[in-house]
Amino acid sequence: MKWDIKRRTFLRGAAGAMMPLPFLNLMEASAKEVGGGVAKPPLRFVTLFKPNGVHPPSWNINEGSEQDFRMSPLMKPFAKHKDDLIILDNMGDFGFSSHANSTRRFLSGHHANRKAASMDQLIADKIGKGTAHRSLELTTEGLFPNQVGCSYISYDHKGDPIPRESDPQLVFDRLFRNPMSHPEKRKQMGSLLDRVSDDAKSLARSAGREDQETLDEYLTVVRETEKRLENIKKQPASKIDFSSLKRPESAANLDEQVTAMIDLIALALWTDSSRCITYMLGNSNSRMIFDFLGVKEQHHYLSHFFRNFSRENIDGLLKISLWHMEKFDYLLTRLKSYKDQNGRLLDHCVVLYGSGMGHSDNHTATRIPMVIAGQGGGMLKTGRYLRYAKNQQVGKLHLSLLKKFGVETDSFAESSTALPGLDGSYFEPFKEKQFDRWIKKEGGGQFAIQGRLRMSDNLDEAKVFYIDVADQQSVRIEVTFNDFHRFNLAYHTGTPITLRGNGSDQGGQILINKVTELKSLFGKRPGSQDG
Amino acid sequence: MFFSNSIHKEILGRAVQFLTEARLCFLIGLFALGSLPMGQANELEVMPFLEQHCIKCHGGEKVKGKVDFTKVTSPAAIDANFELWETAADALEYEEMPPEDEPQPTAAEREVFLNWYQQRFVKSVQAKPAPFKPRRLSAAEYRNTLRSLFGFDLEVAIIEAEQTIVEKSMVMKLLPTDPPGKSGFTNDTYGNPLSTVIWERYSYLADSILEELFAKKHRSQLRALSGPVSDQGFSEANAIRLIDTLLPRIFRRSLKPADLEKVKTPLMGKSGRQLVRAVKSEIKVALMSPGFIYRGVLMQGQPGKQQAVDEFELAERLSYFLWGDMPDEQLMKLAANRSLAEPEVFAAQLTRMLDSPKSRQLADSFAVQWLSLNEIDHVSDNPPFTMALKTQPIDFMDYLIREDRPLLELIDSKTAFINPLTAKFYGKDRKQMAAYKKQKGIEVEAVKNSKITLQHAEGRGGLLTIPGVLAMNRGPVLRGTWMLERIMGDHLSDPPANVGVVKKNSGGESLSFRERFEQHRSNAACALCHDKIDPFGFAMQAYDEAGAFVLAQGYQSKKKKGNKGQQKYAGGEFDTSGELPSGEKFQDFAELKKILMSSQREAVIRNIVQRTLAYALCRKLEIYDRPTVEDITAQLNQSNGSWRDLVKAVSHSLPFRQTILESEKS
Repeated sequence: MKWDIKRRTFLRGAAGAMMPLPFLNLMEASAKEVGGGVAKPPLRFVTLFKPNGVHPPSWNINEGSEQDFRMSPLMKPFAKHKDDLIILDNMGDFGFSSHANSTRRFLSGHHANRKAASMDQLIADKIGKGTAHRSLELTTEGLFPNQVGCSYISYDHKGDPIPRESDPQLVFDRLFRNPMSHPEKRKQMGSLLDRVSDDAKSLARSAGREDQETLDEYLTVVRETEKRLENIKKQPASKIDFSSLKRPESAANLDEQVTAMIDLIALALWTDSSRCITYMLGNSNSRMIFDFLGVKEQHHYLSHFFRNFSRENIDGLLKISLWHMEKFDYLLTRLKSYKDQNGRLLDHCVVLYGSGMGHSDNHTATRIPMVIAGQGGGMLKTGRYLRYAKNQQVGKLHLSLLKKFGVETDSFAESSTALPGLDGSYFEPFKEKQFDRWIKKEGGGQFAIQGRLRMSDNLDEAKVFYIDVADQQSVRIEVTFNDFHRFNLAYHTGTPITLRGNGSDQGGQILINKVTELKSLFGKRPGSQDG
Repeated sequence: MFFSNSIHKEILGRAVQFLTEARLCFLIGLFALGSLPMGQANELEVMPFLEQHCIKCHGGEKVKGKVDFTKVTSPAAIDANFELWETAADALEYEEMPPEDEPQPTAAEREVFLNWYQQRFVKSVQAKPAPFKPRRLSAAEYRNTLRSLFGFDLEVAIIEAEQTIVEKSMVMKLLPTDPPGKSGFTNDTYGNPLSTVIWERYSYLADSILEELFAKKHRSQLRALSGPVSDQGFSEANAIRLIDTLLPRIFRRSLKPADLEKVKTPLMGKSGRQLVRAVKSEIKVALMSPGFIYRGVLMQGQPGKQQAVDEFELAERLSYFLWGDMPDEQLMKLAANRSLAEPEVFAAQLTRMLDSPKSRQLADSFAVQWLSLNEIDHVSDNPPFTMALKTQPIDFMDYLIREDRPLLELIDSKTAFINPLTAKFYGKDRKQMAAYKKQKGIEVEAVKNSKITLQHAEGRGGLLTIPGVLAMNRGPVLRGTWMLERIMGDHLSDPPANVGVVKKNSGGESLSFRERFEQHRSNAACALCHDKIDPFGFAMQAYDEAGAFVLAQGYQSKKKKGNKGQQKYAGGEFDTSGELPSGEKFQDFAELKKILMSSQREAVIRNIVQRTLAYALCRKLEIYDRPTVEDITAQLNQSNGSWRDLVKAVSHSLPFRQTILESEKS
C-alpha cells in the first residue's frame, strides 16, 4: 500500500502534549514495499466496550427515520462523525441480564455461547494472519473474581477468556520495541551480551566450585541469547523502522491511560502491526471511581440510578457516560487522522462500540446501545439510524459482520439469520402502530391507563416515568424499586402499555404510586430469566 | 520425640526414584559401611535388625510406603537421608512398626537400633555451615531490590478498583512465579535457574526502570542519585556521581576505584542524549551481571576453609532475611567499615531493622508461606472478604514480631485483628473496633484491621482460631494435617490412592460423622497417620467451614447432656475430644491448646525454629543444621523466648554467620 502521509503527523501523547512523530521511514518503507502497484488496503476490526449499560432516556433516539434523525444527548460527543456511523436500535434479548452475561453477549452474541470463540477472534483468524500481532485484547482495570466473566469480552476457541493488557507502555514495547525485532534494541543487546560475558568470565577465574556452576548457568543463557540474535539477523529484516515512534509517557489517571491506548490502537492499525483489536473501557460492572471527573462514587453504584437515586448521582453517572462517548469520539478522530490515497484509515475499519445491556439499573437486555463506525472498505453503508421493527439478537449482528469479513459460517451463537440492513439492504423498520390512549378511574383510588410509557427526561426526577395519554396531562408514575423491577418498567419504556395501579388525582394530573398490573399492547412479555 | 520432625514427602519421593536395587547390593553396602573409622557409629550393628524386621516390606522387591532401606548404601547417603532414619526411629519407639501382624522385635533389639540412631544422628552430629552457593534473587526480592536502588516502583498502568485484583508490580507481572524450593520457601531459588525467558524479562525491566529514572516523573529520585541537574541538562558530573552511588549498591558491596573507573571512562567527553544513553547502558550492564542477579557471587573469602562470611554478605543475609530487600545505606556503611558484626552494633541494627515497616515482610512473606495463608484466597471470590480474612493472621504475625511477644502466643493470645467484614466472629469484642462508616457510593471495600483485646469472644485466641485459617482447610482431615505439618512440624506421606468415601448411616444407624469416619479409617495402614491427624482435626469441629465458632452463645444443644465434649449442631453430631499418640487426653480445642502450650511446647518451638532458620538461610535444613536447631530450641524453650529472641538467635547462628568456600573449581 502506498501511504500518502504528511511529513509531520502528530501523535497525541499520554500527557496530552502534542508530540511530533516522524513518519519518514515508515513512508519510505511502505512505498518501497508496494512499488507503486495497486494493492487493496487490508480490513481492520476494532471494538470499544462501554461498561454498565446506559441511562436510556439520555441514550435512546425515539424519533426520526433511517436517514433523518437527531442524535441523542449522550451521543453529542461523537455527533460530528454522524456520516460515518450506523446507529443500531432494538438490539437485544428479552430478559434481564447479569453483568457477566451481558459481557459475554457483547462479542459472543448470546450469553449461552460459552464454548466457542467470540466473533473478534473468528475475524482475527481471517484477517490477522501475516501481521505481527494476530489480535490485541486490551482493558483498563483488574479482574473481578466474584463474576470473572465481567472482565472479558474476547474468548478463544474453547470459550475461555483471553488475558488482557492494560498498560500502554507495555503494549507499545510489545508492538514496536521488541528487542528481537527492533534493530537498535538488537544491537544494544548484542553489545550488552559481550560486556556481561567478559565480566562473568573474569569472575569465573577466581570462583570456587559452586560459584563456577552458577556462572556456567549464567554464561549458557548468555550464549543462547546470542544465538537467538544471530538467527534473527539471518531472517529478512522488517521493512518498517519503528525506532522513531515515541513511547507514551506513564499515565497519571484513567483518562491519560485510555487516551494513550487509543493512540496505540490507531498506530497499531496504521502500521499494520495488528488488524483486530478489542478494548474494554472497564469491567462490565466496573467499580472504578472517576475522580478526575470530580465523581467520588463508584461507577457501578451510580449506574443503578433508580435504586440509588439522587440528582447528584445522575449527574455523576452522566459525566462518566459522556466520558465514554468522548473516548469513542477520540478513537474515530484518530482513525480519521491517518490518510492515504485510499482514504482515511477509518474507511478500512469496522469499529463496534457499545455495551451488553440497556437499562443500567434494571439490567434489561433490550435496546442495547450499539454503534458501528467505518464502512469497512465499502462493505457497510454508514450515516444511518437502523431501528428494527423487532428485537434483534446481537448474534445476528455478529453473523452479519462475520460474513462481511469473509468468515464462512451459517450461524453464530443462537442466530442463523444475519442482521439485514448494514450494507443498505432492506430491513423492516420500526413503525408506530395506532392505539387508543385513555385514563379510566375505577374507584377506590384505582386507575387504569393506556398510553406510551416513557422515562422522565428531566434529570431532577430521573426515576419518574410518564404515560402519555390523549388530550390530558401525562400520567406520572412514581413507584418503589420493587414495582419498577417487578413490572420491568425499563423494558416497556417507549412502548404502548395498559397499566393498572393505585394513585390520586393531583389537580388534573394523575399520580400512580403503586402498580398492580401491566400489559404490553403489541410487544412480547419480558422474560424473567437471565438473558 | 513423636512430634519432632520426621519423614516426608520429599525424602520418600526421592527414595522411590531408586526402586529396584537388590538385596545383595544392600548387604554389600552395609559390609562396606562396616569398615568405618573407630569412634563412629557402626552400621553393622543395625544390619541384622533391618534384615529381620524391615527389608521384607521396605526394600528390594517390595517397597511399601515408598521407604526403601536397600537404597542407602554409603555413609554419605545415610547422612543425606537422615529424615528417613528419624522416621524409622520414631516408628520403633512408638511401636508403630513393624505392623502388629508381623513378628515384633524384643525390647533389647529396639534398644540397639535406637542407640545406634542416637549415636549416629544425634550425638555425633557436628554443626557446620553449608558449602557456599550463590543464589538467584527471587522475583519478590528482585522487585524490592529494584525499588530500593532507584527509589520508586516499576508499576503496571492498570486502574485499581474495589473488588478487583490487579498485579501492580511490573516485576511480579513479568517474572515467572517462583516455585517454592526444597525448603518450602520461594526465596530458596536453587532449583529455579536462570533461563533465556527470564533473561529477556530482566533486560526489559532494566530498560524500563532506566527509562523511568530519566522521565520527568522521577526527577527527585534521579537528583537523589546523581546530584542536582542544572538547566544545561544532565552533565558529565551527574553521570559520574550516578555511577558512584548506584554501582556499589547494585553489587551490594564497595567496589575498587579501578573497577568504577572502567565504567566511567566510556562516559567521558559525552553530553546530552549521547551521555544519557551511555550512562543507561553502563547501569544496564551492571543490572544484568551476575553480581546483581545472584546473591553472593562476589563474596570474598579463603577457598577451602570454614569461615565467617564477609561483612557485606552478612549485611545482605540479614536484610534479605528481615526485609526481603537489599541492605540500606546504614548497613552498607557498617559493612564497609567492618563493624557490623560487633555485638552492640549488630544488636542495634537488629532492633532498628525489626522496628522498620520493611520487616512486615516477615509476616507478609515468611509467615504466609510457612502457614500456607495464600490458601485463604480460595475461601471467597470477593477480594474485600478475602483480604479481610487474610490480613487477620498476617497482622497477627506482624504483631507478634513487632511487639516482641513470647513465641507461644502463636498458639494462644489475647490480641486479635478485626475489620467490619470479620467482626461478626468476635461477639461483643467487636465493639472495640474503630468506628467505620462506608463512604457513599462504595459497595464493598477493603478496610484496615483494628487491634482488639479478646475479652468476650468465645473460641478465639491465637493463630489456630483465626476464621480464615480455619476456613482455608475444610473438614477435620485437612485441618488436622495442616496443624500437624505447619504447627507441629511433622511430615506425612501422601494418602494411598482409592481410599473411598466415608459411608453414610444405613437404615437404623445413627452414628456421628466421627464414628463413621473412624470405621472408615480403621485399618492399620490408615491408622499410622490418622492416629496423629484426627485428634487435631476433630478438636476443631466446633468451628464451621467458614471458621465461625458453632458453640458460641446462642447455641443450643438439641440433645440432652451427652458425654462431655460431645455436642450437637445443625449438621449432626460432633465430638471434639481426643487423645494424642503420647497418651494425653483432651475434651475440646481449648484443652488441646493448653497441651500445646505445656507438654508439647518444645515440638511447637522446634518447628518455629526450623521454619525460621530455613527461611533465613533460603535453603532446606540438613543434618548438620540439627545441633543449631536443637540449641536454639532449648534456649527459647527454657527462657520462654520471644519472637525477637528467635530472630536474634537465628541471625547469630553458625550456619547464618559462617560458610565453607569450596576450594577448587572442578
